[in-house]
Amino acid sequence: MNRTRARRLITSSAALVLCTGLVMVGSSVVTAGATTKVPGVTSKSITIGATVPLTGLAAPGYSEIAKSADAVFKYVNSKGGVNGRKINYVLKDDCYDTPGLGCTGVPNTVTQTHALLSIPVFATVGSLGTPTQDSVRSLLKANGVPQLFVNSGSTDWNNPSQYPGLFGWQPSYTAEAKIFAKYINATYPGANVCFLGQSDDVGTDGLAGLIGAPGAEGVTPTVTDFYSVDALVATNGASVGQYISAFQSAKCTVVVLYTIPGATDAVIGAALQLGYSPHWVISNIGSDPVTVFAPLSAKGLTQDPEIGAVSFSWLPATTSGSPWIPLMRTLMTKYYPGFTSATPLDGNMEYGISWGVAFVEALKAAGRNFTRASFLKTLTSTTFTQTPSLLPLRYTAGDHQGLDGGYLTSVTSATAVTPLTGTVYQTNSAPSGPVTVTAKSSAAIPTWLK
Amino acid sequence: MEGVALQRRSLITGALVVVAVVVSLVAASRLRVGVAVAIPVALALIAVAVVTIPGLHDRHPVVLRAGVTVLLVDVGLFATYFFPSFTNYNLAIGAAMAIALLGLSFLTGVSGQISIGNGAFMGVGALIVAIWANHHSSTPIVVTLLIATAIGALVGLVLGLPATRLRGPYLAGMTLAFAVAFTAIVNAFSSWTGGDAGLQLPTAVTPPHWLTSLYSSQASQLTVSSVWLADITIVAAGVAFFFMANLFASRIGRSMRLVRDNDVAAELVGVSLPRARVIAFMVSAAFAALGGGLWTLVNNSVSPPEYSLALSITMLSLIVIGGIGTIPGALIGGLIYAYSNTVITWFTSHTGINSQGNLASQLPGIVFGGLLILTMIFAPLGLTGAVRRLWSHFRARRAARLALVGTATYARHTGNS
Amino acid sequence: MDAFLTSRIISDILEGLTNGVIYGLVALSLVLIWRSTGILNFAQGAMAMFSTYVGMIVFAHDVSYWPLVGIAIVFGFVLGGTTERVLVRTLYGKPEINPIVVMVGFLIVLEAVAAAIWSTSPRGIPNPFSPIDWQLGGHPLALSAFSVYEIVTALVVMTAVAVLFRFTKLGLQLRASALSPEVSRLLGVRVGRMLTLGWILSTGVGTVSAVLVASNFFTGLTPQEMDSIFAFGFIAAAIGGLDSPVGAIVSGITLGIALQFVGDYVNSNAIILTALIVLIISLMLRPNGIFAKSAARRV
Repeated sequence: MNRTRARRLITSSAALVLCTGLVMVGSSVVTAGATTKVPGVTSKSITIGATVPLTGLAAPGYSEIAKSADAVFKYVNSKGGVNGRKINYVLKDDCYDTPGLGCTGVPNTVTQTHALLSIPVFATVGSLGTPTQDSVRSLLKANGVPQLFVNSGSTDWNNPSQYPGLFGWQPSYTAEAKIFAKYINATYPGANVCFLGQSDDVGTDGLAGLIGAPGAEGVTPTVTDFYSVDALVATNGASVGQYISAFQSAKCTVVVLYTIPGATDAVIGAALQLGYSPHWVISNIGSDPVTVFAPLSAKGLTQDPEIGAVSFSWLPATTSGSPWIPLMRTLMTKYYPGFTSATPLDGNMEYGISWGVAFVEALKAAGRNFTRASFLKTLTSTTFTQTPSLLPLRYTAGDHQGLDGGYLTSVTSATAVTPLTGTVYQTNSAPSGPVTVTAKSSAAIPTWLK
Repeated sequence: MEGVALQRRSLITGALVVVAVVVSLVAASRLRVGVAVAIPVALALIAVAVVTIPGLHDRHPVVLRAGVTVLLVDVGLFATYFFPSFTNYNLAIGAAMAIALLGLSFLTGVSGQISIGNGAFMGVGALIVAIWANHHSSTPIVVTLLIATAIGALVGLVLGLPATRLRGPYLAGMTLAFAVAFTAIVNAFSSWTGGDAGLQLPTAVTPPHWLTSLYSSQASQLTVSSVWLADITIVAAGVAFFFMANLFASRIGRSMRLVRDNDVAAELVGVSLPRARVIAFMVSAAFAALGGGLWTLVNNSVSPPEYSLALSITMLSLIVIGGIGTIPGALIGGLIYAYSNTVITWFTSHTGINSQGNLASQLPGIVFGGLLILTMIFAPLGLTGAVRRLWSHFRARRAARLALVGTATYARHTGNS
Repeated sequence: MDAFLTSRIISDILEGLTNGVIYGLVALSLVLIWRSTGILNFAQGAMAMFSTYVGMIVFAHDVSYWPLVGIAIVFGFVLGGTTERVLVRTLYGKPEINPIVVMVGFLIVLEAVAAAIWSTSPRGIPNPFSPIDWQLGGHPLALSAFSVYEIVTALVVMTAVAVLFRFTKLGLQLRASALSPEVSRLLGVRVGRMLTLGWILSTGVGTVSAVLVASNFFTGLTPQEMDSIFAFGFIAAAIGGLDSPVGAIVSGITLGIALQFVGDYVNSNAIILTALIVLIISLMLRPNGIFAKSAARRV
């Protein structure tokens, strides 16, 4: 009994001491103010981050993008950085938020974004995916962290009133699809057109642009289908077979695809198997021939079935003789792990390099002393003409979408696309709104890259 | 003797409670944050005083469990105030997982039915919270969570009914099929569920005014809301643990263990086997749904592909490592889930493994799978089982030693009352 | 005649048959292990997948098909036997839940290690048979050289194994070792060897199915390729009865054909849902499977 009472007294006193101690610590924490420095920025470095699919279904091709941008940053760091600061780029894998058993234990985008915020990062730059980035919009906004150059063509990133720190970069799926519709109407008037899109913004935005506004020059597909990425993973690609079969039965001579490369592969494979060869019109995000043909060639196919497909680009073609191409190759050989003179420079790499250059340009324009607010102001008040894209990059206070046009391409070999006509089109991201022809801007190479 | 001793103990306990209240009031009056500090401190001291009443375990075990729950929740809530936001986020995720693991622990350990489909039950809860919040955004959080829990129980009933007649591998297979079918169900109703892309909550969960007022105006929104979300999940976990602890010890729990060990004997005693099994399924599904619903609140969104077979298997691994059929096992599992990535990231950065390479991404799978195998072979009752075994081993040796001493001093003590 | 053969119904039957024989193979391998050692091997698909990868990498360049298949199957034998000796031996006599959990853990480890070594990007296997569907009167017939090869191989393997199991002395020894190990020992059967042999045989059968799936031109080899196939194969085995090799084959093929119709006439989401519902109904009616000999225990 003595022991019990003693034990009780000791326990209670210990608890009392513990709580009091915590309180003491706590009151000091509470009175500590927030830091006045800019998060993620020191005198010698700036830390930025991104959540990208390094593994999983979306990894082929897409995992190259952020690493290519990182090559640009490494180059800049080797020259002393931007305004004396080196860029520290942190990449976190989120498996495109589709954790099949191939990504057991890979955290989701929200968790990885929280991890980035705890570093802290100045901004997220070049995070990839539509549903993935939708899921962290409000988190980043609530913490005042800019969400820059989201790698996706969804129009969700153009919402300045609700999300002032959110910026896209590439031309939107809607804009691209409007240009496709113009092409299809001119080249295949009256043909049966079928549409297959991913079951998220990729597909719905693409379809909206294809159909266009009522009365406008749109294309209404005979058959429209959407595929689920999850089902694709689960069935090893067989789930798209039924859609292609339906397209074949509907006698579609033109098929528009808004698919990621893994799905493009599955579609092309299914079509080959059925002996179906329509004219393919494929969104830029899923048409890169190097990415699409790689698994097919490993299976023994000698002829790339994608040859002849029409796609879209806003960056210099590798066959175009643009001075950017040899520059990119030099950059990649030096700073991208595993890139040799024999490695083809594919669309994903050009994509990453291009927004990487744009970010460096923006950082330079922001000056030595900047805050998050002043950086965003720089973004919306500068026109960036010295990036690889054929059109200048321009944001305004009311438009955060990014690039707004490009040219049609044709897949001519297993490693390259060439311009179809060379005409550069420009259009906005609403289904209405005309497609206009514009003169190319001569995208000059900035001095720091020469 | 009993009556006088009891009176004395009660007096001492009462005195301690009074001391606790006085200390808290004094502390409150001295410090800026006042009542918000006083209440947790007082509660903690009261809980400690209650918990240490000797004999409470036998006479009023429910009160003991309540005391332990209040103490742990109280310390937890207090701690979240001081943690950085990422820690609070991880704690919240881990606490919600612990709730789901409690249900799985009950199902597999106490009721003896294996399930590799509880990830789908979590998904049910997660989706219900998101769908409800999108259609009725003014419902209080507690109500939304209760709705999700109820629907989870309903789904558990639907699946539990056919499960009553199934033995081990067939039951596992049925739950496997359910886990795989969950994604298809989500896609079939994609206009409601958002399909692969999922749903966002219309408004983020905002911390109440009294919590925000505890922080200086320069504290970021992330800090305050992460504390609030962690608090919600910790309180929910406390309620869940209290409920489960009582369930384990109740007649239902005992009859379930009997069904698990010897169903023929259970039948003889009058336990209805199908009913026990269905109840177990419903309880585990309800708990999993609550955990999933909390995840939606913490993440402010639901991403249905996350609630895949991989999650179900992860849950099974966690509870096996923590300790099947135990309550601390669920807590341990939740903690492991919350921190496994941090640990693995730390490991890869300190051993030179390429953090963007294949090995780093697959390391969680290798570690979990390996631990699962090793635990099941060498320590089937998990960490909790191993600790308990060590503890009882230690106590047995101590008792043996005391017995030698005791016989000598027994004669001396029998004179006292 | 052409129109009939390329009609939707026949196409569905043929495609369903192609899928169904794979499910039948997986179901058979599960039944083999169940009959010979009383364990449900959740890692069956993963073990088969891993063996296929090993077959592929043995030749760093110039992978050719038949050596790949041979090496994969041999490695499958080795993996199965080793797993039984090292891992499964520790699990006999333990509660039902232990082997299930251990095999699930093994599944995770195998897939993670495969992805760590070979990444999750699909790999192609050069195939001697063309996967392009034959055309009949301008319409595709749901058969190609490859799918005929798939069906014939699977049927041959399934028949051979079923015959071995039911009609040969070795099969009898396998069955006896599982049913009454003590009596079998008394009769001179090397029970331990029989248990290992059961696993060896089963993993070999499973590897054949994984090789066939990986050889499919348009899917290729990934660490997750066998996941849903295992799920369907298991469902087939459960419906047919884990005790019955013939039941496994029949229900695998039937399930494949039935699900193909569901996928075609409803949509792809309905496939797994239908499988789940069929499983539940079948288990409620006959908890030990349709072809099971023993009656279910009534509780």
